[in-house]
Amino acid sequence: MNIIEVQNVTKKYSNHLALDNVSLSIRKGIVYGLLGPNGAGKTTLIRILNQITAPDSGTVLFNGNPLSRKDIEKIGYLPEERGLYKKMKVGEEALYLARLKGLSKDEAMERLKYWFIKFEIQNWWNKKVEELSKGMQQKLQFIITVVHRPDFLIMDEPFSGLDPINTNLIRQELMELKRQGTTIIISTHNMASVEEICDEICLINKSHKILDGNLMEIKQQFKENIFSLTLSAEREIPVFPEAFSVLETSTSANQCHYVVKVHEGGNSNQLLKFVMDYGNVLEFNEILPSMNDIFIQQVEKYNSESKIQNP
Amino acid sequence: MLIVAREYLTRVKKKSFIILTLLVPLLFAALMVVPVLLATQGREHVNVMVVDDNEIYINNFIEDEKTSFSYRSGDIEQIKKEALAGDYDVVLYFPQSSQKVNANLYYNEEPSMYLRSELESQINNMFFDHVLQDSFHIDLDKYNTIKDLARSEITMIQIGEHGDEKESMAEMNKTIGMICGFIIYFVVLFFSGQVLRGVLEEKNNRIVEVLISSVKPIELLLGKIIGIALVGLTQFLIWVVFTSVILVGVQIAAPEKFLEASGVDTEQVMEAVNNSQLVAGDTMDAGIFAEISNYFPISFTEMILCFLFYFLTGYLMYSALFAAVGSAADNETDSAQLTMPITMPLLLTIVLVMPIADNPNGQLAFWLSMIPLSSPVAMLTRLPSGVPLWELLLSMVLMLLFFVFVVWFAAKVYRTGILMYGKKVSWKEIWKWVRHQ
Repeated sequence: MNIIEVQNVTKKYSNHLALDNVSLSIRKGIVYGLLGPNGAGKTTLIRILNQITAPDSGTVLFNGNPLSRKDIEKIGYLPEERGLYKKMKVGEEALYLARLKGLSKDEAMERLKYWFIKFEIQNWWNKKVEELSKGMQQKLQFIITVVHRPDFLIMDEPFSGLDPINTNLIRQELMELKRQGTTIIISTHNMASVEEICDEICLINKSHKILDGNLMEIKQQFKENIFSLTLSAEREIPVFPEAFSVLETSTSANQCHYVVKVHEGGNSNQLLKFVMDYGNVLEFNEILPSMNDIFIQQVEKYNSESKIQNP
Repeated sequence: MLIVAREYLTRVKKKSFIILTLLVPLLFAALMVVPVLLATQGREHVNVMVVDDNEIYINNFIEDEKTSFSYRSGDIEQIKKEALAGDYDVVLYFPQSSQKVNANLYYNEEPSMYLRSELESQINNMFFDHVLQDSFHIDLDKYNTIKDLARSEITMIQIGEHGDEKESMAEMNKTIGMICGFIIYFVVLFFSGQVLRGVLEEKNNRIVEVLISSVKPIELLLGKIIGIALVGLTQFLIWVVFTSVILVGVQIAAPEKFLEASGVDTEQVMEAVNNSQLVAGDTMDAGIFAEISNYFPISFTEMILCFLFYFLTGYLMYSALFAAVGSAADNETDSAQLTMPITMPLLLTIVLVMPIADNPNGQLAFWLSMIPLSSPVAMLTRLPSGVPLWELLLSMVLMLLFFVFVVWFAAKVYRTGILMYGKKVSWKEIWKWVRHQ
């Protein structure tokens, strides 16, 4: 079951095309990574999902029905550029923004209390927002985003500007929300966090979708048969057969570490058999490409292809 | 609703709002009351030394508990020095003269205005008694008859639509018109400026994106405008009520002094009340009425209603325009550039307020009071001098039509502009946003 279906969405601004016929679907209950270089069209897509702007053509389905005004209560949005009224009191501001999302006053109050206690910021209720540290403001902003228990969370760079402790805190909360059934879309440049928490991803470049799917499947798809292995050995392996080429070697304390690419015609078992003769295998595993590598590779490939098509 | 409440409450709770709200009526009242009090209660005992070379006024001044007179004759330079160095506050000197009374008043510290007028009136009285009668054998009655005959006067009488005649106070109307024009100018710019700043604030601290993911931009825009309008009305109401309360309070506390000293005698006030055709007079305290009607020779209720109408529509129009500009600009400097063409008509009208007030039914006044951008100021300036009903209605209708257009325009610009960052926007660009979709 898909919570979001984006079908052939195109959005044009006066001087450039922000999204060109983009389609994607997001399954319920997953963490979905929206990736792409700056200016690729991610923010436009997010704004369309938030109904801040409307697509020029194409449709967006939310739980199977066209996205409508009443759905905003089910969506939580953390924009990339964080912003709060600086002069308002923390509690009043949180209450106001929660009520704008359709919560009643009592309901909002109760839930805010829960979150304030959870994040240990209950003492800040009557302080002004401008008195909060940046980390505190980020926590407050997070609370405001999730306080109305949205089914669908849109987080634009949720970890930017956070210290490691707060990053961890927010990540845990996101995982907890996911466990409770919330679907989360994360737009980020931070590939490490993508690998850690995303189930599926979508790569957008120059207003086109160039790649989407399950994170593990994508990694498999782009794997280059590179293996990492460690032997306890007296001596280094002098020569590898032709089917293999060594990318890296390092030796330390009677251990030899290799990164080996297996060429076509060879396979991992052959490699394992070959190295077993030289010592005890301590570690043998496949190196999947990092999202970072895939990202750079795909974007560059796309850019050079489009240059050839439109010189 | 929520937005309106927030916009309203955050502003009303601000210290600056409370201070301004309480201070202005006090200032206003003080402005009217203090000079009166100074003139009456600020009197101290004054010792006057009179030196009269003509010997007409010797021993003829009438003393009261605050003023005492002594008389000497001799060399004025000598007496002046001695008297002012001694117990005397002023020296009144009549040089040798056979005709016109020309006196000098010497002093170290400036005496009160009251003393001067008191002395002048006494001198005039004595002039009748002594100079006219003794020297020319003219008695007071004869003198007054001659004086009345010699004075020519034009009474301004305006003939209304139903042929009713009304004595007009052209000068007064002009002044009131100009004051009203200025007030509406400041009020409109002040409150729509707040809208501009509010929009800029939301845009600059980026909260706007959170907000419009919850509500429609137009809701946000209208919420802000209405919220601030309510702030303005609240403030206005408090000002009016407070000022009246203070003034009435003072009047009740010291009614005679107040009226006497402010140079308005009771008869005149009553006359003004009758002239001004007040309707709801019975229900209100006659005191306030006398007071207020004295400053508004045209129908007071009409004036207030028109003021409110032009304040509201003018404010709504300008705040919508300012909101559009605020959404398109990134900071106050940019916005100042964009607001220029909008505020120009208003500024121009303010500059032209004098000519409008001078000729309230001329071409200039007519057209400026028809053009919606300038009509709040122009019409308010004209109103006290009387404006034909059809002109007033036409101006109001134009105002409303233009207002609808402006809101439509502002909503379009606002929706696009509020999400634009880091781009200097020109009016050409804004026009593109409006035509888009």
